[in-house]
Amino acid sequence: MGPIIGIDLGTTNSLVAVLEEGGARVLPDPETGAALLPSAVAFLPGGEVIVGARAKALAGERPLDTILSVKRFMGLGLEHVSAADRRRYRFTEPRQGAYDPVRFVVEGRQVTPPEVSAHVLRELKRWAEAALGETVSQAVITVPAYFNDSQRQATRDAGRLAGLEVLRLVNEPTAASLAYGLDKQDEGVIAVYDLGGGTFDISILRLRAGVFEVLATSGDTRLGGDDFDERLAELVLAELPEAERCRADVRARARAAAERAKRALSDAERAEIVLGPVRRAVTRAELETLVKDLVERTAGPCRQALRDAGLRPEDIGSVVAVGGSTRVPLVRRQMEAVFGRPPLTDLDPDRVVALGAGIQAGILSGGRRDMLLLDVVPLSLGIETMGGVFTRLVDRNTTIPTSVKETFTTAVDNQTAVDIHVLQGERELASDNRSLARFKIPICPLPAGVPRVEVTFLIDANGILSVTATDLRTGHERSVEVKPSYGLGETEIERMLEESIDHAEEDVRQRQVREARVEADMILHATRESLAREARLLADGEWERIRAAAAALEQARAGEDYLAIRDAVETLSRETEPFARRIMDRSLTEALANRRLAEL
Amino acid sequence: MQAAEATRRECWKCHAESGAALVCPRCAAVQPLPADADLFAVLGLPRQLALDLPDLERRYHAASRTVHPDRFQTAGPREREFSLAASAAVNRAYRTLRDPVARGRYWLELYGARLGDGGPQVPPAIAAEVFETQEKLEELRAAASPERRREVEALRDGFTGRLGVLRDALCALYASANGGAPSLDELKCRLSEIAYLRTLLGDIEDAMGEGLRGTDHRH
Repeated sequence: MGPIIGIDLGTTNSLVAVLEEGGARVLPDPETGAALLPSAVAFLPGGEVIVGARAKALAGERPLDTILSVKRFMGLGLEHVSAADRRRYRFTEPRQGAYDPVRFVVEGRQVTPPEVSAHVLRELKRWAEAALGETVSQAVITVPAYFNDSQRQATRDAGRLAGLEVLRLVNEPTAASLAYGLDKQDEGVIAVYDLGGGTFDISILRLRAGVFEVLATSGDTRLGGDDFDERLAELVLAELPEAERCRADVRARARAAAERAKRALSDAERAEIVLGPVRRAVTRAELETLVKDLVERTAGPCRQALRDAGLRPEDIGSVVAVGGSTRVPLVRRQMEAVFGRPPLTDLDPDRVVALGAGIQAGILSGGRRDMLLLDVVPLSLGIETMGGVFTRLVDRNTTIPTSVKETFTTAVDNQTAVDIHVLQGERELASDNRSLARFKIPICPLPAGVPRVEVTFLIDANGILSVTATDLRTGHERSVEVKPSYGLGETEIERMLEESIDHAEEDVRQRQVREARVEADMILHATRESLAREARLLADGEWERIRAAAAALEQARAGEDYLAIRDAVETLSRETEPFARRIMDRSLTEALANRRLAEL
Repeated sequence: MQAAEATRRECWKCHAESGAALVCPRCAAVQPLPADADLFAVLGLPRQLALDLPDLERRYHAASRTVHPDRFQTAGPREREFSLAASAAVNRAYRTLRDPVARGRYWLELYGARLGDGGPQVPPAIAAEVFETQEKLEELRAAASPERRREVEALRDGFTGRLGVLRDALCALYASANGGAPSLDELKCRLSEIAYLRTLLGDIEDAMGEGLRGTDHRH
């Protein structure tokens, strides 16, 4: 059995780490040495798939077929997806009245979020295998603490599709605390404030003699740095006419430009968002005004977690900043406002979760018997009872694993079955909470109030629920496997696995060659089209340089060396970049001119 | 009734005498929980209402270290199942016993005297204040003025203080029972008063929370 790896499967970036003698270590891309893998997956013509930085670079050109931030869609139905997220991609129409997971339509085919995530995981697995020199088949994967049961199941499915046995799902802030605790040998109470690309978590933990006990956790699974980018992008998009503003490629470029400006503003007082001919100057104060309400939204969950832990802000010994978005100065000020002290930032906020995942992997393989994590379930779990009421069986912040039994009866005479509707959330009405699963158990028909049905909830150390129901009158236990409402069916997973095994058995090098060729074909085709259509935008000598680079790529493409093909793609891309920018600038400039005309 | 020290059990794995321990003293295999084990026994305690909290926490951490699923990742399916069940029981035991009120309620359950399912009754001693509070909460929900908030805050602080006193009194009752236990009726009476105050405080927090959100939106 090979080593167990720890994976931080992030909204914007993902990392892989292992625990070694000297501590946890992040494993880099064997080709470029990069530690962060952008969680971007591009679907190309002919079924090829590209992951990471090269996929992210394609987002401007192929915005609808390049999935960024797939984590925002994990374990959800289309009805849970925000209007803004819905505009970013194409989806299949959800079947009426049926629970159905989100399905993207990319390059004319359908893919589910776990399949998209599996591409990211497979790439990280490859990185780890290259760094460790052995096959990897087991992993610990981190999830936002505030992820519900469906989102957790979807993450586990993604692991399975990537050929990884997911030994444990660990909550991201808890993983981060492992990395901090190991580093500092801390004792006492800490708060972990984790603001990533798409999710916000706050966890309060007590550290004592190697035991990391989570006291309370709260958060928001739809709040993160992506939302800051979106707001900043609107600034520059507002300068464009309506028709251009709605173009998916323009929006994708605007978001990328906004992200760069946001990063710059963490250190500088002013920056520029550059989108074609439009240059929008932006100050840090302006950014802060734009995102103020988003940042303030993190205060509610922080207070909630403190209240649930029975603590006041002054009881917190230290506050740890996790996630790239905690680099934003306003976010740091918010943390200080809530907890009354500046956060610790000794560890790289981008890596700390992955390091913690690596440590947890080490704990599971028996390497760190001195440490133990005691985590909690983030949201209450229960079932729907008479009158559409939500009856809680497990309160939020209960330490896991946990099990609860409760007995229920019928409301109608001679019922032959009981409908069990499993829900998760904090609201009083069943319909206001998230539906997790629904199933029937047949019972012996008796007058109302006489049957006794015992329902058992068991939540494992991953925070994943299983439900058993027993008719106590007949003694027949009906162990029901809870199939998550928004999850993938077993047959669907089997089919996907078969498909991915076909891919896995194929020689890795062969696949790289094929992928590189598809990339080559795409850029060659685009180059030919642009040269034919927009030749008048060419600068002096540019035609010759582009032709030469294209010829070199065609030659490389004929060979078997995928690195040579990629290099040639990069060269051609570099040579055509100013030309492509001029084309885009021209279309936006024309659009701007037209608008000015109309406004006159 | 004392804890199950006298129980004779055999380890399912190595067949050594395992007693009431969560894990076999010889081969460290997790044992299935005895059917008669109560939450006190799970943490190796005799059935008694008076508990030393630091000791309870030490026992909890020690038990978690030995049975938590993290320790049995490479074990067989049977032992993993035992580990999951034992770990769930250890967590439930700690959650229940560390809180004097939950502990008291569990005690009532053990002796077949569940606290009324119809919800706690209004303790006569505070009936008038309860009435006044409900009225104030209605006003606060209707329109949250700073003055009304202050009034409700004062009520909340009063009830919080009283809850503290009642909890202390409950602990004192446990301690004075000297290994024995107070009468179930006495316990029931005190617990329902506490339960009532808790519900009331919850209502107050909710109403104040709503008020808070209301003012936030106006900004």
